[in-house]
Amino acid sequence: MDTDLVDFAVEHARSRGARYAEARFEEQANEQFIVKGGIVDALDFTESRGIGVRVLAGGSLGFTATNLLTKSDVREIVDRAVALAKGARRKKPITFAPEPAVVADWSVPEARPLADTPVEERVDEIVSIDRDLVGLKYKIPGRFFMCYSNRISKYFANSEGSKIRSYSPRVRLYYHLTLVKGGDVEQCNENYGWSGGWEALEEVRARDRVLEAARTAINALEHGKKSPEGKTDLVAGPQVSGIASHESCGHPTEADRILGREASQAGKSFITPDGGGMKIGSGVVNVVDDPTMEHAIAFYRYDDEGVKARRRYLYKRGRVSEFLQNRETAAVLGTRSNGAARATNYDREAIVRMANTFVEPKDRTPEEMIEEVKRGVYMKSFMEWNIDDKRWNGKYVGREAYLIENGEVKGPVRRTVVELTTKAFWSAVDAVGKDLELFHAGWCGKSDPGQALDAALGGPTIRLRNVYLR
Amino acid sequence: MDDFAEQIVTSALGFGAKDAVGRVVVDRNYQIRVSQNQPAIANEWRKTSGQAFLNYDGRIVSGEVSDLAQISETVGRLVKIAKGSQPNPEFVGLAKGPFRYRRLSSDPKVVKLMDGSDYVEAAIHGAIEEGAKETAGSFWRYHEEHYLYTSNGASGNDVNVGLYLSIRAHAGPESSGHGVACATRKAAFEPERAGHKAGRIAALAKDPKPGTPGAYDVVFDPLIFGSLIDQLGGRSSAYSVAAGFSPLGGKLGKKVASSAVTLYDDATADTLGRLRFDEEGVPVRRKAIVQDGVLKTYLHNTSTAKKYKTKTTANAGLVAPSAHALVLEGGDWTRDELFQDVRDGLWLTNTWYTRYQSYVTGDFSTIPRDGIFRIKDGEIAGVWKDIRITDNLLGVWKRVKGLSKKAEQVQWWGEVGVPTVAPYALVTKVNVTRSAM
Repeated sequence: MDTDLVDFAVEHARSRGARYAEARFEEQANEQFIVKGGIVDALDFTESRGIGVRVLAGGSLGFTATNLLTKSDVREIVDRAVALAKGARRKKPITFAPEPAVVADWSVPEARPLADTPVEERVDEIVSIDRDLVGLKYKIPGRFFMCYSNRISKYFANSEGSKIRSYSPRVRLYYHLTLVKGGDVEQCNENYGWSGGWEALEEVRARDRVLEAARTAINALEHGKKSPEGKTDLVAGPQVSGIASHESCGHPTEADRILGREASQAGKSFITPDGGGMKIGSGVVNVVDDPTMEHAIAFYRYDDEGVKARRRYLYKRGRVSEFLQNRETAAVLGTRSNGAARATNYDREAIVRMANTFVEPKDRTPEEMIEEVKRGVYMKSFMEWNIDDKRWNGKYVGREAYLIENGEVKGPVRRTVVELTTKAFWSAVDAVGKDLELFHAGWCGKSDPGQALDAALGGPTIRLRNVYLR
Repeated sequence: MDDFAEQIVTSALGFGAKDAVGRVVVDRNYQIRVSQNQPAIANEWRKTSGQAFLNYDGRIVSGEVSDLAQISETVGRLVKIAKGSQPNPEFVGLAKGPFRYRRLSSDPKVVKLMDGSDYVEAAIHGAIEEGAKETAGSFWRYHEEHYLYTSNGASGNDVNVGLYLSIRAHAGPESSGHGVACATRKAAFEPERAGHKAGRIAALAKDPKPGTPGAYDVVFDPLIFGSLIDQLGGRSSAYSVAAGFSPLGGKLGKKVASSAVTLYDDATADTLGRLRFDEEGVPVRRKAIVQDGVLKTYLHNTSTAKKYKTKTTANAGLVAPSAHALVLEGGDWTRDELFQDVRDGLWLTNTWYTRYQSYVTGDFSTIPRDGIFRIKDGEIAGVWKDIRITDNLLGVWKRVKGLSKKAEQVQWWGEVGVPTVAPYALVTKVNVTRSAM
């Protein structure tokens, strides 16, 4: 890792008149392969490394990046970053909220280090899961697996004296199945994520979960009924509570959205800058974003601006509590950063991002919550989902779902549609489970150029009373 | 740089690879992001990297050569990795070269552009003149050089330059419009026009009311129709079909759209997607994906073409073929005639978050954003918000009633990923839903 070039970049930027400068070296060793219909399509091994430099000069921001790691190339990109910032025709100067200088070195433990786990073993494991699927003797014409690992090494330095090294290994498995029975078709997919080593697949019980998904999809094809329409109760499993937390709690509390910086792309928010305290859910709803959950896919100790990570209460007792902040948004809103700045790689600016967003667990089991339902739907997973760009009108369509009658789980129902406003969804929650599953993962999209970033999309089971389903 | 591409291939063959492709990409892109009517940040990239693709004993491996001074070491590592993989019997080799390519064409004025501030300001002013209060967006100067060399005799270089601007204007908290400008030549770039369009839609969209679910005849603006074109064209990749990500499986030669629809993939057209060759080095060409509503071809590389007993369409992706630039042929309606045909319907201007319940059935939903207008007897009769299109992809395409003669080039974050030429479109009985409160 070329730390000297990073330190040089920061010093050179200051000498060229930058009020603030930071440089981030990243080296990512990214291994990815696809198994499609039992065949290993291709294995992609990409080692990228480079330096990104962000400066605050003349009240504006400039960002440049290069993978040409010579002193002269770094000098050139720093000069250009300063020139871009100074040349910007900005009326209102940008400032950063204060932060202490940090010197730190952090990493994620790997029970089975990725660097020591041969490709053969990884490929064999996924191919064997596929083989087990075939062994179920179902008609599964589409079997698609994408396995992905990344080893991210960083060195961050800024002009305030911060110097932070980190190593973050991550593993992802995505699968997508197409199952057919009697001319009818059902598709299912899931995405698992883990910060750590190749123990990931065992930790998340990937094999069992894939096989179970196939069984439940066939069960739906054989026995699935139309989901009931009208007002009824909904017990939403970890995947469903997770996606709802991400989409309708995490995104709307991103301060850069609230301030309009993402307006043209990822959109704005129903929450305004003075929207703290806004009532959005029932009193049992606490939704947090927590980068410090050690093996969750978006684990980190310090963000990409060198700010210490901590748990953030986005909604507390049903009210908007805290926005996700970086140093720029915190300065605008007169507060401090809470360590939410992240970038996908060295060649992207760090912006406000969610990490691991979930409903804070309480004390109920799913069985207890179901027992108290006279009539409703138990929705364990979903396929189609979306939400508007102010994060108010959400939709989640069930994949694995069952009818509940008199406290008992009955047969499968298909395509339960939960199409509710954010307030209608969270206001209906009356019970929260203790069964936190955080390994459900997604690629969270934001910014321009796009930065698809690891995010944990799990949670505990929650129960909603008397909501409109169809 | 073409030497480096050749070195990647030579090195791979030296390690025992049967087929190899070397590519070098020089990235000099530049961008200004805008929010609240002023620059938020200016970005510039200075990257040069190689990419290697190789077939070692039937095992397929690809990877980045981040440091061109270490080609041999990187390729050697890839070969070692290949040995640990498994054979892919569906890979049948690379297209046989050499090939001749059309003349390089890039505007030097775009290459030399170092400051896009005037364009940004022109767009912002355009929107504000129409009544917008707040704008946000991005200006891009694209400048990429590509060098390619294959073990099967193809070699060439390409330069992709262009200008792009995307602007979203707000006239109120829930009143917004969006405009884009795309050009390969400086003289053809019209950022102020994009700003005016965004501002005009935002100003028209004041005080929206929650919409009413139902089936409506809809006039789609080019930007939102670009999203539906992207869905149809993108899912015509043979790889998407084989992997279960497309409703077009088994539909070759069958009706997948109304007779008004002819969709081309055309990287020879003057769009931001203009190319000389695909990733196997095959010269790109215009081809109809859908002609008069009938699915004519999937998009292929050499390997997927062999599987489907046809020839490559010059759309490699070495693993997965993909569209380069989509061009929907205009129809014989004027824009005004499309509106006049609507007795009781909607005009939609943009959308986002298109997602599927089942890719193979094509059941999807997408969320219109920016101006959503109620149309009665051809005239704007109200402004809506908070609706969702919940329909079937091929169902929508089969209900295309008319297309405008004039079309616009569009591209937009997330939704219109491939540069697309889209006309206005009238689609009947589009299903609209809304979230319960």
